[in-house]
Amino acid sequence: MNLKEGIKKVQDFYILSVKAPIGIFQRPVYIRDIIEQMDYAGAGSLFIVLLVSLFIGMALSLQVSAELGALGLRMYTGRIVGISIIREIGPVAIALSFAGRVGSGMASELGSMMLGHQVDILRVYGISPIKKLVTPRVISSIVMLPILTIIGDAVSLFGGYYIVAFVSHQSGSFYWSQIRDIMIFENIFAGIAKPFIFGYLISCISCYMGLSTSGGARGLRRSTTSAVVLSTIMIILSDFVLTRILLYLLGMRV
Amino acid sequence: MIEFRDVVLSYGDHVVLDRLSFRINFYERVAILGGSGEGKTTILKLILGLIRPDEGRIIIDGQDITVMSESELRDVRMKFSIVFQEGALFDSLSVRDNVAFCLREYSGLSEEEIEERVRALIRRLGIEDAIDLMPEELSGGMQRRVAIARSLAAGRPKTMLYDEPTTGLDPLTSDNICAMIKELSSGEPPDRMGLIIVTHKVSDAAKVADRFMYLKNGKITFDGDMKSLKETTDPELRAFINELFTIEGRC
Repeated sequence: MNLKEGIKKVQDFYILSVKAPIGIFQRPVYIRDIIEQMDYAGAGSLFIVLLVSLFIGMALSLQVSAELGALGLRMYTGRIVGISIIREIGPVAIALSFAGRVGSGMASELGSMMLGHQVDILRVYGISPIKKLVTPRVISSIVMLPILTIIGDAVSLFGGYYIVAFVSHQSGSFYWSQIRDIMIFENIFAGIAKPFIFGYLISCISCYMGLSTSGGARGLRRSTTSAVVLSTIMIILSDFVLTRILLYLLGMRV
Repeated sequence: MIEFRDVVLSYGDHVVLDRLSFRINFYERVAILGGSGEGKTTILKLILGLIRPDEGRIIIDGQDITVMSESELRDVRMKFSIVFQEGALFDSLSVRDNVAFCLREYSGLSEEEIEERVRALIRRLGIEDAIDLMPEELSGGMQRRVAIARSLAAGRPKTMLYDEPTTGLDPLTSDNICAMIKELSSGEPPDRMGLIIVTHKVSDAAKVADRFMYLKNGKITFDGDMKSLKETTDPELRAFINELFTIEGRC
């Protein structure tokens, strides 16, 4: 890939990322497509999110409980598990699961439409592929990923509770009182702001990769893999940047 | 008038079209022949402004489309309709919804009127039994018919573009598709709907077209009617059109 092609790709990605969310404010709005995508991204991902979250909550609780037990501080397991899940692990783990399931699905579906000339047909009929195909996927991801994160966080906390109450044999009510204590604006905001950004990044990257597919089955494999790999990298990188920014904005000292 | 002026297009280091120039009237019935990978489909995409050439001009109805924005190209694209190889049907929609797609998008018609139009088109193309089927349940021939019906639902184009419409079909189905293509472009110029078909199946091209172009190494090396095609002395072209002489009876 030469420099000119590289700049063109960055330009195309930039245009898609800007036009896609703006599309919701321009007629026609493809409500049916948005609902369909919300169903696929949200309801369709619920099971994997519940499963991943439950086991992350339990594993984290086991680790923290064992380590704090050595220090004689086992009763504070709930506090550490709660903050870790809500501010950091929950949003990132669920975003990674979302990229693996929904991002790869978006890239392969749009890639298949590219190879089958369906995207060309839309353009021939004067329909913007970004408005028709990308906007519903971006909107559905921005809406559904935060909702999934809230549900996932709650399930993780229940997983943590199970370990604390039934494996470590500590007080369950004390666990929940610690969780209640950490439910302050700063922690909730830090945990909820991230999924909006992650959802936007995953959907834009995956749709761009799908719409730039060429070269048959190998090209489709390449674009789907790139969508998941790039989304994963961007989730991890942006998580670090967002954490720095949020800590600064919320006045929390490191 | 569709006019290519010194059009150059490359994919990486591979030059697909090399200073390609030709003129086609909207009402003409033209077949662009050539082997696989010679850039036949690329020509159709260039006509529709789906891709832009590296160099040269493409003039449609006096307007240079190579400098147009996506929104300006919409009016140009309305002059054409295209049937891609294997139909390019929307696989999440039924036959009815595929044909109704354009009408629902921007016709402003009521659902009853759309249904009426869709049924009329589906009847005309002989696919009534498939109206509720999904694309994956259709045979290759049926998919092409649905694609043609969907193209016509968008309005009457000046020129229909066909990308290998009979590839992968059995001879009988190919004959039916060719007959349908010819019937749609029947009538006298300049009022008739023209067609540009790109194919490597010479016998099928002979059934629907009056003018033939042969694309080789990014250039048009032959441009003429059936009589001059058969009389060509170019050994390579003669080898390419050999099937015309062997199965001429069927045409």
